Amino acid sequence: MEQIEKEIIAILSDVSGVDEQEIKPETDLMKDLDIDSIKAIEIIVAIEKRFKVSIRDEDIPKIATLKDAVQMVTHFLRQKDESSVKH
Amino acid sequence: MSNTEGDRYDAVIIGAGISGLVCGCYLAKAGMKVLIAEQHHQPGGYCTSFKRKGFTFDAAAHSFGSYREGGVFRKAIRDLGIDQRVVIKRYDPIDIIIAPDMRITFWTDQERTIKEVEEAFPNEHRIREFFSFMKTPRPTDIAALRRKTFQDVLDHYFSDKRLKAILAFPVLGNGGLPPSLMSAFTGSKIFTEFIIDGGYYPDGGMQELSNAFAQQFKNFGGTLLLSSLVTRILVDDRRVSGVELKSQGSVYSRYVISNGDARQTFLKLLREVSVDQRLADKLRTMTPSLSMFIIYLGIDDYFDALPQPGSTLWYMPHYDLEELYRVAKMNSAVDLTKYLCRVSPNGNTLLAMSNTSYKDERYWIANKTRLLDDFIETIEKTAIPELSRHIVFKEAATPHTLQRYTLNDEGAAYGWESTREQFLDPELRKPSFLSGLYLTGHWTTFAQGLAGGVYLGYNLSDMIIRRERHGSA
Repeated sequence: MEQIEKEIIAILSDVSGVDEQEIKPETDLMKDLDIDSIKAIEIIVAIEKRFKVSIRDEDIPKIATLKDAVQMVTHFLRQKDESSVKH
Repeated sequence: MSNTEGDRYDAVIIGAGISGLVCGCYLAKAGMKVLIAEQHHQPGGYCTSFKRKGFTFDAAAHSFGSYREGGVFRKAIRDLGIDQRVVIKRYDPIDIIIAPDMRITFWTDQERTIKEVEEAFPNEHRIREFFSFMKTPRPTDIAALRRKTFQDVLDHYFSDKRLKAILAFPVLGNGGLPPSLMSAFTGSKIFTEFIIDGGYYPDGGMQELSNAFAQQFKNFGGTLLLSSLVTRILVDDRRVSGVELKSQGSVYSRYVISNGDARQTFLKLLREVSVDQRLADKLRTMTPSLSMFIIYLGIDDYFDALPQPGSTLWYMPHYDLEELYRVAKMNSAVDLTKYLCRVSPNGNTLLAMSNTSYKDERYWIANKTRLLDDFIETIEKTAIPELSRHIVFKEAATPHTLQRYTLNDEGAAYGWESTREQFLDPELRKPSFLSGLYLTGHWTTFAQGLAGGVYLGYNLSDMIIRRERHGSA
């Protein structure tokens, strides 16, 4: 979880230009990091590439804070693990 | 020219299109030493005007959007002090759409627009919801549209094919694609920024806006070289080191920002040796957007049949936008049955444009005069009776004219086609194989139109300024 958080912070920092140290779990991506729609897609695409997960489009509006993003990636990674065990 | 301190810049920007100007202004304002090299003799790219026989004509861009409180154009204009140099007004109505069996008007008062659309389509119950979503979408809601087309968005809200076509028609005109091919993201952005928040115009013509950016750029200490074609981007061990100018020799810089077209930037200016092969192959298969056939008319006097000065009139001959696109793209002859036209705010010129493909230059040489007259006749028959009796000057621009003045590949009016497949490719904005090279403007696949160019120019300057502060160029 900590590793996932760290890597998502790096992506958020890269796209928003805000220092990594300033990004906390409760940080609101739109209000605090000034994430607009183009940056939101850049972040989603970077997360998908880094963690090799596919984020469903209908889940994107549910991401408001760093914590939401970490939970979503953790959830998808767990799903991926479970499905790979089954196969 | 010798390699002296005078030829050394922090950043060189290729092209003084609106995106390059905005980026240059912000970088120079932040204290960087910036050169903008523009091949044309005036700044602005598609945002320029020209004078003939006492008339001032906007060359291509003829109004702009995103100037509401919180809009990106307003931000740049305020941040850079442009509003002290040019007076910006909004014209009402913004757009008038002439459909086969009705007329729909987009007013600056959105409530009035919604009521008008609701009255025309009493069986559609989500009109208000659609406008509300388009007016203030949450960034993540728009991001969630990344795999959808604009048709998907319209189908989600509406069932009447005519309503969907009417709403998509100015998106086709402002973005060059019908709803089934237009990415939902770009289609929605066009609707929000150009249509709902459109209709702004600088006093004196579009050139005044570009001139104001150019003047402020110089006031911030920037160097603007006009009539200066960049012939090469210089590379030193996988990072850029400057550019070569056709007549002034080499200048050196840590950043090179191309506001030009992507194929020329990567395949011509960089020379293929330094370009990533996969990117080079991709660039060859990507599709540029449609171009335009444009006519410029000088009018003796304002007469009643003319549309309201400053409003854009859109004529759609039928409701099948896919067919209109197919004809514009594929037909060997130019089809002028769908068009937009606009009387300048001072009331003495009329600009009309219709999408078309590039075609061979010989075609245009042989047909330009006939097409100009055909276009006038079409407008006269469909929207403005007796137009031809009031014309005292007429001229036309073909896709080749647009290419000659702006160097946009194939005279493309909107950069790459904004399909889902050609959307948001980071390599076309900040290529990973070469440090210090960035692109801005409508060939990046990130945004299009004047508002898109301004957004990208600002955004890139912000990225570079932050990088500079952290000491990693």
